Amino acid sequence: MKSLRLFASAAGCALLLSGCDRMLEFEPGDVILAEDAINNADDLQRMLNSNYDVLANLLNGRQQCIAELLTDNMARPYSSLDYTAVWNRETNFFTPTTGGLYTDFYYAIYRANVVVDSFDLVEDLDDVTRLRLEAESRFVRAVCHWYLVKMWAYPYGYTADNSHLGVPLRTDAVEPPSPRATVADVYAQIIADLEFAKANLPQENGPYASSMAASGFLAHIHFMRQDWNAAQAEAERVIGSGLFVLDNDLDRYEAGSDSVLAGEQINPETVFGITGGYFAVDGDSLLNDRSSAFRDNFRQDNNLNPQLTFSDDINDLFQLNAADDRGNWVESNGVVHKVTRFDDKQFFNVPVIHLTGLHLLRAMSIAENGGDLATAIGDINAIRDRAFGEDLNDLPAGSGAAEVLAAAREEYRKETLCEGWALDHVKLRGVMGEPETVRGAPWDCPGSLLQFPNSSTTAAGFVLNDEGGCL
Amino acid sequence: MTHTRMACRPLNTPEAKLPDSITRVLSHRFMIRTISSLFTLAGVLISCGLSAQTLTGLVTDENGGPMPGATIVANGGARGVSSDVDGRYNLTLGEGEHTISFSFVGYVKVTRKVTLAAGQTRSLNVSLETNAVLMDDVVVVGYGVQRRKEVTGSIAQIDSKQITAVRTPSFEAALQGQAAGVQVSQSSGVAGAGSLIRVRGVASVSAAGDPLYVVDGIPITQNYFLRGNSGAMNNNPLATINPNDIESVEILKDAAATGIYGSRGANGVILITTKRGQAGTSYEFSSSAGFSNPASLPNMLNTEQYLTLRQEAWENDGGTGYVWLPGFSSAGDSPEARKTAFEQAMLTDTDWVSETIGTGVKHNYSFGARKGGEDYNLYAGVSYDDNGSYLLGNSYERVSGRLNADFEPADWAKIMVSSSLSQGINNRIDAAWSGGLGDAMSNALPYYPVYRSDTLFNADGTVNGLPGDYYLYQDEWGGTKNPVAVRESKTWVTTENRSINNASLILTPMDNLFIKGSGGFDYMHVREDIYNPPSIFLTSDLGNANRYANYVLNWNYSLTADYKMDLTEFSSLGLLAGSEFQRTDSYGYGIGFGDVTGPVFDNDSLLELANGQTTVNNPSQHSFLSYFGRANYTLKDRYFFQGTARVDGSSRFGRNYRYGFFPSLSAGWVVSDEPWFESGTMSFLKARTSWGKTGNAALPDYARFGTYSAPDNGILYNGAPILFPLQPANPNLRWETSRTVDASIEVGLWNDRITTELAYYNKLSQDVIMNVSTPPSTGFTNRWDNVATILNRGVEWSIKSRNLVGEFQWTTELNVARNYNELQSIGNYTPDAVSGGTNDSRVITGSPVGSFYLMMFSHVDAETGLPVYLDRAGNETFDYDNSERQYVGDGLPEFVGGMTNTFRWKNWDLRALATFSYGAKIFDSSSKRQLGVVTGWNMRTEILDRWRQPGDEATFPRLTLDETTYGLPSGFPWWNTSLFVFDASYLRLRNLTLGYTIPTVGTGPHAIRNLRVNASVTNLFTITNFPGLDPEVVRDFENAQDRNMSPNVTYLTPPQERAFTLGINMSF
Repeated sequence: MKSLRLFASAAGCALLLSGCDRMLEFEPGDVILAEDAINNADDLQRMLNSNYDVLANLLNGRQQCIAELLTDNMARPYSSLDYTAVWNRETNFFTPTTGGLYTDFYYAIYRANVVVDSFDLVEDLDDVTRLRLEAESRFVRAVCHWYLVKMWAYPYGYTADNSHLGVPLRTDAVEPPSPRATVADVYAQIIADLEFAKANLPQENGPYASSMAASGFLAHIHFMRQDWNAAQAEAERVIGSGLFVLDNDLDRYEAGSDSVLAGEQINPETVFGITGGYFAVDGDSLLNDRSSAFRDNFRQDNNLNPQLTFSDDINDLFQLNAADDRGNWVESNGVVHKVTRFDDKQFFNVPVIHLTGLHLLRAMSIAENGGDLATAIGDINAIRDRAFGEDLNDLPAGSGAAEVLAAAREEYRKETLCEGWALDHVKLRGVMGEPETVRGAPWDCPGSLLQFPNSSTTAAGFVLNDEGGCL
Repeated sequence: MTHTRMACRPLNTPEAKLPDSITRVLSHRFMIRTISSLFTLAGVLISCGLSAQTLTGLVTDENGGPMPGATIVANGGARGVSSDVDGRYNLTLGEGEHTISFSFVGYVKVTRKVTLAAGQTRSLNVSLETNAVLMDDVVVVGYGVQRRKEVTGSIAQIDSKQITAVRTPSFEAALQGQAAGVQVSQSSGVAGAGSLIRVRGVASVSAAGDPLYVVDGIPITQNYFLRGNSGAMNNNPLATINPNDIESVEILKDAAATGIYGSRGANGVILITTKRGQAGTSYEFSSSAGFSNPASLPNMLNTEQYLTLRQEAWENDGGTGYVWLPGFSSAGDSPEARKTAFEQAMLTDTDWVSETIGTGVKHNYSFGARKGGEDYNLYAGVSYDDNGSYLLGNSYERVSGRLNADFEPADWAKIMVSSSLSQGINNRIDAAWSGGLGDAMSNALPYYPVYRSDTLFNADGTVNGLPGDYYLYQDEWGGTKNPVAVRESKTWVTTENRSINNASLILTPMDNLFIKGSGGFDYMHVREDIYNPPSIFLTSDLGNANRYANYVLNWNYSLTADYKMDLTEFSSLGLLAGSEFQRTDSYGYGIGFGDVTGPVFDNDSLLELANGQTTVNNPSQHSFLSYFGRANYTLKDRYFFQGTARVDGSSRFGRNYRYGFFPSLSAGWVVSDEPWFESGTMSFLKARTSWGKTGNAALPDYARFGTYSAPDNGILYNGAPILFPLQPANPNLRWETSRTVDASIEVGLWNDRITTELAYYNKLSQDVIMNVSTPPSTGFTNRWDNVATILNRGVEWSIKSRNLVGEFQWTTELNVARNYNELQSIGNYTPDAVSGGTNDSRVITGSPVGSFYLMMFSHVDAETGLPVYLDRAGNETFDYDNSERQYVGDGLPEFVGGMTNTFRWKNWDLRALATFSYGAKIFDSSSKRQLGVVTGWNMRTEILDRWRQPGDEATFPRLTLDETTYGLPSGFPWWNTSLFVFDASYLRLRNLTLGYTIPTVGTGPHAIRNLRVNASVTNLFTITNFPGLDPEVVRDFENAQDRNMSPNVTYLTPPQERAFTLGINMSF
């Protein structure tokens, strides 16, 4: 019958020679057309959820592993060609893993911009919801720009006026591609977005953006800008809020369990984090896996040859004091130093901004700005008490700024192992003029920055990073 | 050239079968002439009735077959007869010398002088030869036919004999070398492999650049990518068409010819006309059997050579002791362990190439029957073809049936029905990158045995493998390998069921007005079943199975009105108006089964037990709605003018640019018909020219839409649903258009002993569609857009020369085409905006489409043995820098062509078809591993010419296991340099056929009228400088863009076959 109708229609059309445009109308199935996609506040909320979805897929270990590989923390990857290229600091615009990472950050940025640009399409949007949606979107946008600029550009302070090239700055969901903005401009936009989020979001918001999460990132960003006072202030805002407490357990990667939404098991010191996967009620299917890159690259209990292992440097660091419980994160045969931090975990929550890190950022900021060292010493000892036992390896009261800074840096390196924070510190010390090298090469050697993907260059005029020279 | 008015033709000639208005017009003329001839003949009979001299004989075609209906005229028309059904004639003449002419439509007239004595009976046998450029011949054009003389466009015609003369995996490959300006490259030696056909160059980038295929008026589905690049082989939808069902193939090349197909004519149109019934009853049977082997063999290293070179590389890199060996030892092993492994490796020397190839056996049978009566005719054909390739385990079987029926219930009505049903069963093997011979040329190292000779234990002491079991090894990606084990254990069959159907009703409500309504339905169902048994896994105790099914349903409806009128005594006007609607629906699904013990599709119980996961592909639909018209004006039968116009609407474009207007104008002038034209040498001269605009809309169905994920996409974050964009919108996506200017001159010399044509064209394609790689900062990575401008400009020359006539005949046909291709603009994009193949081809302004964009290799440094590159400024450097990639050549030939020499002596004929290509480059992508860094790939013997010590002048640099030695990033031994861009020029003896024809076997109604046996060889030899396997190659591709961009790239691609075939054809 369908064919008959078609034939009749075609014959009719042929005879009438008009009015058959509808025969040329087909729409793709199982998708929504762009013009029909966003109609109400729920659509905007689902769009915002997708921002977190992308962010979760980036911070499930993908970003952290890449950042770690650019430091002294990791040994040469076992077999991954892409990871080896990162470790050698010779990524090029054909390296798919780093290209994919870069691309996904901009997916999240684009989606955040779509939310902000679509308010006028929605009629039932109240002001409160609109403000929240904008604040959360700008939070995601800022966080993504932040990860991009610190991995694909030299750090803040690399030039006096920060006019060196950063990354494309995208604040609208528009079509034309953008050139690289200056680092100054990128940082300014990140800070503006986070300040907006800080001012307009609730202090706590579960696994989503919050005012405290914005402060947590701001503390880190100001720290990288060497604005010690601002970094200290933002860190203190979080620490002083009383909303988060240091976990007595060294393991911040809380595993979910069957039939339990992992988001309910966020570690108490997590200021902002990613919720891991969880099994469906029937227990058979893994519904949401947001910790795969940690699990698949580091776990050694189910893999004779894990992709990523610690460097000799890290192993030596933990061998210095056998009382350090964090030494259990390493299992070494003297040659290969495997990571045990993620053993026995199939899926788990991922802390991104946590209280431990903010304590140490505050301690380092105080050591730099000449503030109250007792507070800094307290921060460090809170961390050490957990690792070594109460008062067993405390930094003495009255220690000077240099000792505080050194102790804070050491704890920072240990505590944030596998989290990618070490890269920030390498760059900060480099830009501060400290003689910093990574595996024998200058911290800013050509190749120390990730290379932009080839697709970035398809619009004329895009400037790539220099390659080679770190080996 | 014979360009006089057409002689009488009998009812069973091809013209009488033609289904449209032109046939009608010609039929009227035919009736008049038939009556005239009858009167003439009656006069002859009456006047000669009392004479006793008789001339008898047999009229045959060039293959020795009898020619019923040939006209034999004595002394300029004074007396004449027609040959009978067996080609025999009997002409009574007066005493003395006579000039006898023998003619038949489509054949060159032959004239003989004969002297008859009183009462003498004499025999005179004559063989007529076809003439491809004969002006009164009829060619199929869009929505009709035309006398060749009237054609103002560029059309190449290839008949059924030319198509079936060469045994190929699919009929389209037989077009190679047959028509100027039509480049045909057969892709590989895999059974059922497709070909790449480009008519007058490459004019598309991301949209499909293949010509439109039309079978009996129905544009058919020809999507090579239903299953993508599955197992290094694309499905070839054309392989299910039986070549023996084809009457003729017309290739429309310029805008005047393709303009009537407007929307889809930019890349040429291939019209396939199938056989129809004819008056009387006749049968055709053909069969052939043969075998094949590779046209060339890879020259891989044996164990001793490989280990020697690997050891040398190890020592060059500073290693001491024995080198570590993939699969046997590792770099971190002790020297003793490495030595033991080395010594163990030396005990085995497996020739993996021999393990994967053999002798392909092939045979086919085709039977056709024609029957015609006063008001009907029928053609029915069945065929079976089993085409085994030389790749062990690989064959393509085709069973097909066709029924074409015409019925004329009244003078004013005619019904035509065509229907074909075919099934292609492709017994698959892994090839190229997927395995099989591809593995034998790469990761199958010669020291790996086919079967274990020892017992393999698990860590817990249990037995994992026994002597005699397959030896399984892992490639660098961790895949379990052993091409013999995979071939012998894996079940892999692709079954394609296809039916192409067409029904037409032709009404003649008034004289010279023909109204034709047609409906067509093209159904295709491709099903791929795979079972991987546990024996080819290292880690699994059970197998897995998959089924992938794809359906394509294609409807076509058209209505045309055709009217021809004589305006004056010297002028006539033909008008055609019509509309057409075409709709195509595609959908499919995939089912995967894990943990099964056998092919689930052969065993229902396993199907129930298996845990299957089904994926349903989103349906994809598109349609075209078209209105078109054509006007032909003829003045004095020597001035011809044609105008066509077509408006096409495509669902693939939004309302802003949905409809395209595609006009063309053309004119032809038969100069030699001018009264003032006198030339003793030049018997025919025609000039023609055309201008026209054509389009292309062969892009994915929904490329213009901006889309978001479905509401029920199933993705949650923290338990909450998400919505996300999938694809950017481009509401302004529009037709890719080509404007073509064409001019040609056709010449016949010495009474058409030599005929030749020279043509020039200039095709400028604008708004060329590119799937542009966009900067990720835009939120998307790709976008469809009208971006590029491409120029194709060329010259085509063809010539046919009857070098020797008489008892020993020699005919030469030669065609050569030169095409200049230039990508003139890609807007504000860079070359990396569109890539082809595997990082080898890019879009470079000022260079041809699909230029190789690689690091330029200069030479090997004699002192260090390191490779020296050239940067874009031409400076020598040791640095391998991707930002210094540049144009290093392209895969488009400077000219291509074919030459056919045919020799005949008595009943023997010998035909040799040579094809050639000059100036193209080929990027041997396999070489970067076979002739580069020493890795877990076996290497080719050319690598023996490597640098070994200071002062060496070598082709290849010092051997190394460390890719950084060559400046490559560590971990990336993929050495993309111009070192592996080779000259792909070749001259190939494509086909050599020796035939013997017995005109008649037996007598009476059961006589065999044409029995021909033949022996042929395909690809007997190839003359080339290309050091790889085959200079004629098309890599397996996953999309149309790759097909346009990287036609001359090979990556472990199996070479074409050399086939030896014995065949028999007969008519009765």
